[in-house]
Amino acid sequence: MEGNFNLQPDNFPTIFSITEDEIDLNELLAKITLTSTGAAAIFTGMVRGETVRGEAHQTDYLEYEAYIPMAEAKMKQVADEIRAAWPVIEGIAIVQRIGKLFPKTPTVLIACTAAHRDTGVFEAARFGIDRLKEIVPIWKKEVSPDGQFWVEGDYFPKPGE
Amino acid sequence: MNMNHVKLLFFATIRERAGTKALEMDVPDDLTIHELKEKLSADHPNLKESMKSVLITINREYAFDEAVIPQNAEIGMFPPVSGG
Repeated sequence: MEGNFNLQPDNFPTIFSITEDEIDLNELLAKITLTSTGAAAIFTGMVRGETVRGEAHQTDYLEYEAYIPMAEAKMKQVADEIRAAWPVIEGIAIVQRIGKLFPKTPTVLIACTAAHRDTGVFEAARFGIDRLKEIVPIWKKEVSPDGQFWVEGDYFPKPGE
Repeated sequence: MNMNHVKLLFFATIRERAGTKALEMDVPDDLTIHELKEKLSADHPNLKESMKSVLITINREYAFDEAVIPQNAEIGMFPPVSGG
């Protein structure tokens, strides 16, 4: 059944990785751009050195760790969920950098490509980063002039997630 | 009683409180996740507080209190995630 009902051509690329290396946007974008692609929505998050919203504070650096094999499997799951909700999405790249990362450094990238910009491609990328922050096992410790503390999320996955 | 050899992996705050990244142990064959948490709380007082809001995985999938731990399981224990 699945083999006969394949909305997604086999050549739709999906990239997911945990890395200690710099995130290379151009390289990733090239890998998820097909001849039929006309739009990419890219979200990238970086280390914020000065936080104003909420409790204002400074950040010296963030130290990330991951449960790497599970994190990569859950990134694949996020990509599968994106494709189920937005079958028009062509390429997906989900990359998290780990290790000690300083302000202004990109830490995460989610990019989705599609034929056109009005296909849900923005929403797909937004869903991707929100979902990563719920179910992909990655953590960060914040080191600031006032000390250091682990940042903890508030999402408790349910059975099947 | 038959025993099951399992590997525990700790991350973030729980790794720091445990003082180690990994622990191998023998547990009774039909032990549930809930019972494992109680055992760890008793054996490692440092972890008692962490066990209240810990996320647990069995073989890299999220698992819940009533789950029976399968043979040679890889069990992850960590706080709610904070990637991005």
